[in-house]
This record gives sequence, structure tokens and C-alpha cells, in this order.
Amino acid sequence: MKVEGVQHIDAPRAKVYQLLVDPVGLSRFIPGCEQLERTGDNTFAATLKAGVGSIKGTFKSTVKLEDLRPNEHFRMVVDGKGAPGFVKGSGDLDLSDEDVGTSVKYSGDIQVGGTIASVGQRMIQATAKMMAVQFFTSLERDAKPSGDTSSAPPPNFFRRALSWISGWLREFFRKR
Amino acid sequence: MADKYVGRRVKRTEDPRLIKGLAHYVDDIKLPDTLHVAFVRSIYAHARINNVDVSEALNVPGVVAVYTGKDVADKVGPVPCASALPDLKVPDHRVLAKDKVYFVGHPIAAVVATDRYAARDAVDLVMVDYDDLPAVVDVEQAAAGSTVIHESFGDNIAYKMSSGEGDIEAALSSADKVIKQRILHRRLAPIAMEPRGVLARYYPGEEELTVWSSTQIPHLLRTQLALMIGIPENKLRVITPEVGGGFGSKLNVYPEEALLGWISMQLGKPVKWIETRRENIQATIHGRGQVGDIEIACKNDGTLLGLRYNVIADLGAYHQLLTPAIPTLTGLMLSGAYKIPAIQINITACFTNKMATDAYRGAGRPEATYVVERALDLVAAELGVDPAEVRRKNFPAANEFPFHTATGLDYDSGDYEAALNKAQQIVDYKTLREEQKRLRAEGRLIGVGVSTYVEICALGPSQAMPAGGWESATVRIEPTGKVTILTGASPHGQGQETSFAQIAADELGVDLNDVTVIHGDTGVVQYGIGTFGSRATAVGGTAVLVAIQKLKAKASKIAAHILQTDATRLSFEGGKYSLEKAAASAAGASEPVVPVGEAPAAALPEPETNGRTSLTIQEIALAAHLAKELPPDTEPGLSATYFFEPKNFTFPFGTHIVVVEVDRETGDIKFLRYVAVDDCGKVINPMLVDGQLHGGICQSIGQAMYEEVVYDEQGQLVSGTLMDYALPRASHVPNFELDRTETPSPVNPLGIKGVGEAGTIGATPAIVGAIVDALSPFGVKHLDMPIKPETIWKAINTSH
Repeated sequence: MKVEGVQHIDAPRAKVYQLLVDPVGLSRFIPGCEQLERTGDNTFAATLKAGVGSIKGTFKSTVKLEDLRPNEHFRMVVDGKGAPGFVKGSGDLDLSDEDVGTSVKYSGDIQVGGTIASVGQRMIQATAKMMAVQFFTSLERDAKPSGDTSSAPPPNFFRRALSWISGWLREFFRKR
Repeated sequence: MADKYVGRRVKRTEDPRLIKGLAHYVDDIKLPDTLHVAFVRSIYAHARINNVDVSEALNVPGVVAVYTGKDVADKVGPVPCASALPDLKVPDHRVLAKDKVYFVGHPIAAVVATDRYAARDAVDLVMVDYDDLPAVVDVEQAAAGSTVIHESFGDNIAYKMSSGEGDIEAALSSADKVIKQRILHRRLAPIAMEPRGVLARYYPGEEELTVWSSTQIPHLLRTQLALMIGIPENKLRVITPEVGGGFGSKLNVYPEEALLGWISMQLGKPVKWIETRRENIQATIHGRGQVGDIEIACKNDGTLLGLRYNVIADLGAYHQLLTPAIPTLTGLMLSGAYKIPAIQINITACFTNKMATDAYRGAGRPEATYVVERALDLVAAELGVDPAEVRRKNFPAANEFPFHTATGLDYDSGDYEAALNKAQQIVDYKTLREEQKRLRAEGRLIGVGVSTYVEICALGPSQAMPAGGWESATVRIEPTGKVTILTGASPHGQGQETSFAQIAADELGVDLNDVTVIHGDTGVVQYGIGTFGSRATAVGGTAVLVAIQKLKAKASKIAAHILQTDATRLSFEGGKYSLEKAAASAAGASEPVVPVGEAPAAALPEPETNGRTSLTIQEIALAAHLAKELPPDTEPGLSATYFFEPKNFTFPFGTHIVVVEVDRETGDIKFLRYVAVDDCGKVINPMLVDGQLHGGICQSIGQAMYEEVVYDEQGQLVSGTLMDYALPRASHVPNFELDRTETPSPVNPLGIKGVGEAGTIGATPAIVGAIVDALSPFGVKHLDMPIKPETIWKAINTSH
């Protein structure tokens, strides 16, 4: 399954790139990320709580960053396994300057198996899209130059939910 | 008895308990101390198993045991395949995967716990370490075989087979026209309303095992389970309680059935497993699954000369009971209802990383009928003639039966034109075609589809069956006069508790309510073959009839003894043996009534009968049980058993005519008429026949327009729930206008042909034919099922 999109982020390219390849940043932006540890050069072990619809569970994953070209490009390879099945995928992220802020183009291929495939298939595309939006919404919040969000407490549940919804709606209306 | 029961719309005696929710399915049987089983199933289509770690699962409170493939590998025998094809490759199919998994849903471990919830929770904690392998999903790629599923075979081809008679090459080369078409028969999920379920109870003291299973074949299952588990067959009892539908999916021996029996023997407690719907779609057999190429040769006048069908059959990862046999049934029925002098089928049957295919309502014959009927439509379109006329032209005439086909069968009896004529009359075919033309001119897309099918039923002579094709019945009259029928058939929705009682009530002259039909318990019923292949009434009902005739032969001897006459002087009517009225016939008197007090000339001396001149069958039964007034050398009791072996299959047929309207903007399909004239020989209960057709046609609508088991490129089952696997619902189904012709079968004394699969065989091509006809203004000649609005929209919008 392909996941593709372009996300505008209201922050300078260098800042965005730095946050994207930083484990602390990643752990904050990846929706449902409970733990993310560096296990090697650009490889991380993550525990994610994720799901599609009612099929939820904890995934133990490895995240690998490859092909790093600072401020321009990197490739993220994810391999996760959990009770609801498995998720495997890789995606390219390309950053470019815009008049204001940065444009992040992402394009990936995801394979899912197990219960999430057989039960959640019809919702996976939408869920992946939603997770991407959540990811970039959190990223943007941290990356905004004016904000001092780096010292702000981690968003609580309601704030996070609200940002998901607003991100989702924005995405939804953009398509129209 | 004034009215006979046979032929009447007698209400099903099964229904009150079903409607009131009082029936007992496997899950309704509650035994104390029952343990519950849940399965760990593969999430990969193809993977190596490095390790299965059950330690965490064992820590879950309530979990009693976890069994893996390693634990059972040398304890439980392989899952059986009954096919006897020469050179068939048969993979070693174990009840739990050990080193490799071959399809999504492949059972890997069984978790046993004190309740279902604990078992289910612990399943998530069994850690399976997989190395995933490339999956073989597309059946044509499987045939080409870059990845080999079962490595020792060297390729993915389970068998290749060619069959047919006549010179097909000559037919194809000498024909005026040869029309070719690729067609797809998608995989379908049978989706019985009740999923599978097994309850097993081992009695350690008696060393006996009872297995309750939702199956169509209790006796065959007993034999196979005994072999798999290694328990003597006479210590194993299989009970089939109420079964909520099978459609062929329970005509099988599944890993779970053997495993539950074995686990109960290990733990000495009852164990139960009830399949979830997700498991049902993953790991209960699928149906169909063929990719085929048709070549049909004809003359310019529409006379058929030959048919060739090259087919690649998608068998799935393993053979289940009849998996490899299904495509061969397609080959048998490729002559359809037509004279086709040369027929050839070339089967390439392949393994894929998917659940096994096997018998789903029709089992290979819907594929054949679809091939032939689509071919006839293509011929009609090519020659510009009416599809009904092409069919009529190629029918064997009613006086040509038994009719030998180039597939090697002898059709028992038929009058195909009579059924076509009747259906055309009901639908007013001529007017309909004119109306279609008129509405087409207005821009409306009306389509008419015709299918004149023939099917093969009453399976079957034992010569042609892997495990016997006979059926058994015991009829006994209890001391109180109640009639008990034990049938080896295993009805699960077909209504034989009613129809067999109708046969018995008529033959014995008793009230229908005095007859009870018992089935599905190997501890009670003599060995039987079971219910599938539209056989239960034609073969099993005949066994009931002949058993009753045997019983009556004995009853008449007892009656003659008690009435002190000769059995030939007794007549049986209204449930009574009576002295023929003063043996009037001996005098040749045509008067039905002999004047009182006047003895007829040739009358025999009035026997000493304590004044009795008649005995009811119940009185005879009591006398037989008390055994005080029996003729010499007569066994006490009144019962008889008969095993009926049919000489041939039967060949029901009929015509389905479907009228649809297609919305050119949305691609929506609306049924305007659905007319079916079916000939299933003699009818015991028209209401049951109608019910069989209703259900079958619904499933055909599903196949034609909605249903498809979809695996993605990695072999993940995408259509894994009923949210994704589209079954037709009430609003998708039209009103059915059903009628019949009645051509008795000479194969059995009841003249029955069978009707269980007519709907799924006859209907699909008529529906597809109607939709294609509606789109013919756009040059559409064929569309593959399921034909969704999207399919239609694409066909309309890419045709110009």
C-alpha cells in the first residue's frame, strides 16, 4: 500500500530536518510512540501503541534511518510486530524550501499483515494518512521558530486529540 | 389416508425449534469442566517458523496448556485428502504448522484455558518467530513457479489432467467459427451462518471419545478422526447436533476436529472450540478459484462442434478432503445441456499460499455451467441470433435419453426444451425482447439473460466416489407404534426430517407426527455417507423407501399369521393390513361391495381370527415386539435397514431467465424479473424445493455481483470480515418466480433428481448474461464476476 503526500511546515528547513532525525523528536511526533531508544547509528527500537479502528495493540518496532542527506532527504524503514499483526514499510522524505517554511514530501510503501490486514484493510489507508498528519502536526508545533514549545510539557490527551482532528480536517478539506 | 404427504407443501417440522431459538448447535452444548481452545494462526502467507515461544502464554491465569506443531507432529496424523487422482502431489498436511506456514490463518498453536477469554488473551502472548518468504498468490504465477511452496515437489503443480471425448482439434479446425474467451471464477467463501465448532469429551474410564462437530459427514469424520488420533473407531462417537448450514464447507475433515479430540484425550476433560467469523473466512475452505480459457467451435447455423477449456485451478496451500477433485467435476459437466461432439478439458491444478479450495455449493459444476453458458452466449452474440435459440438448437431431444456426452456421462432423463418453453412463456419472451428493443431506443439499458443448465446430482454410484456413494436407512416401528427413521444422511437445513417423514408416513399410512427422523449420531445411526452433492433425498430418501418396503414385507407376514390367512390375500391401505373383502377378486366380481350375509361364490372359508379382519401397522409392531404370535422362524421386532446403491447419477436441469436494468450513470443493477423453471424430477415437498432454489439463487447473486475472497500481493487476506466480504442482503435479492417441469429420474424408485445446488449452478450465468446483454449496445461481450457498479461504469466508459 502506498502512502504519499506533501506537508507544509511553518519552520525553517534545517530545524525541520534536525527534529526529524532526532530520537527525542521522533518519539514525540510518532503517534502512539511509548518508547524510542537508539540502538545504533540511525537505528532505533520503538514501542508503539497503534491500531486501525478497533484493532489495537502494542508493536515492537525497529526504525532505521538511511540515505541521510542533511536538510534534504532521508529514508525511514520501519519493521513492527505485535499482537494485531505486523507492519513493514519504508518511505522517502524530501525537504525543500518554500516561500515561508518547508515542504516535506513523503512517499512510502507499507505492508501490513495479520488481523490489521484482514479486519482493518479498508481503513488502513485512511489511518496511515491520519497518522502522517498527526506526525507532521506535532512536528510543526515543535519546529515553529516563534514558539518555545521545546520546553512545553508534552501535550495531554485532549490537546493531542484536538490536534489530530484539526490536522485530519485540514487534510480533508485540502482534498476538496 | 385420504391425502398423501408426498408432493404437498408440508411445513418443516424442524422450524419451530429453530425459530424459537430452542435448537442445539455445538456451542449450545454445555458440559461441566469444559476447557476452551483458541488458535494461534499465521499472520504470514508464507514463512519459516524459527521458534514458537509459549512461556508467556502459559503464565496467563486460566491457561492449562499450549500445544505447538512440535508437540503434536508424531501424535496426530495428517489431514486426509480423499482424492485418488493418479500422480497427485499430496503435501504432508499436519494439524498444526511446525517448520513453515503456508497461508494466513494456518494454525500454529492451540491454547487451552478454563474460559474462552483467557484462551484468546493468551493467543496474543504466544511469540512466533517468523522469517517471511515470498508468497505465491496469483495462480498463473504459481503455475510458472518461481517460488515453490512445497519444496520437495519441485514446482507448484499438484496435478495436470486432460479428459474428454471426440476429436477436438478437428472440431476447432473445421468450424465456421471458433470463439475464445478468458473467464475468471473468483474464490468465494461459503459463509455458513453457523461457523464451525467442535466439542470433544474423552471418558478415561471407558476409553471412549465423543466428538460433537458441526459437520455434514459424521460417519466419514469418525473414520478419519479414528485414523488421525489413533483411537479405535468403535470407541469414537461423532455427534452432529443442529448444523447452521454447510454449503460444502463442512464436507471436510479439519485440523481442529482432530486436535480437539486429541487434546481432550490428553487432559481428560471436555474441550471446546467455536470458530470465529474471521477464522471462518481464513481457515474454512473456499470455493471456485479457476482461471480458464474457453474455445468454442460452431457452424454458422449455430450447431456446436466442440468445446475446449484450459483451466488453471487454484487449490490453495494444501489439499483438504476433496480439493483436487473439484476441477475434475468441472470437466464432467462441460457438455451442459447440449450436444457437443468433441469436448476437452486440460486442468493444471496449482498450489498457492492461500486457504484450500474445496466443495462449495455446486463444487466444480457451477464453473462448468458458467463456462458452457457463457460460451453459448458468445456464440449467440457472434452469430447475431437469440441466445435462447442457440440453446434450443443444440439440446438433445427428450427421446434421446439416456444421452451420452463427450465428457463420458450418461444423462438419465430430460426434456430441456419443455423447461425452456415454460420459462419463456412465463416471462413472455417475445414481448420482452420487443420491449427491450423499444426501451433501448429510449436509452434504457435492459438486459435479458438465459441459462439452460443441467447439473449432476445424487452423488453417486460408489464406483465414481472416493468413499462410497450409497446411503443407508433404518426404519423401525416402536412398541407404541411410533415410527423411527435413522438416516445416514446428515441434513443441516435441507429439511429431511420433514421430507423423509413424508415418505414414511405415506408408505406406512401413519400420521406425519408419528414419524421421527434421527440423524447425525454415529452412536445411534448405522454408517452413512452424509449430506452433500444433492444426494440426501435421491439416495438417502430411496434408502428410507426401500427399508420401509422391507419392513412391510415382514409386517405383512406377521399380519397374515395373526389373521390366519395368506399374505397375498391382504391389502395394505390407510396404515392397515386388511383381509381382501371376502376375496371378491377371486370371483372376478367387479362390485366393490359384497352384499351383507351373502358369501361370494369362490370365497375361501372364513379364517379363525377372533373376529379381526384387519391389523394396523402399529398393532403388528406391538405383536412383533411381544413375539407371542409370530410365524415360525420370524425375528421379533419390526425394523429394517437398507443400504441403497444408485446405478447412476441423476441430471436435473432447468431454465433461468433474468431481466435486469443497468443504470448508465451509476452502474447500478436492478432486477426486473427472475424466472426459474427447474426440473428436479419428482418433488417430495415443493416448499423445500423452493427454499433450496431461493438460497442457491441468492448465493449466485452474491457470486455474480458481490462476493470475492481477496488476497493482496503478499497473500494477506484482505476480505477478512463480513464488512469486507460482501454477501447479498435482502434488499439485493429480487422476487423469484419459480415454476417446474417434472421429468422423473429412472435411477431411483422415487424418481427424484435432487435440487440442493440447482440455484448456484443455474442462476449465475443467467445473471451475468443479463448484465452483459444490457451492455451489448456498448459492444460488451463478457464481464468477469463479481460485476459491480464500478465494473459496469468502466465497461461503459472505456468502450468508445
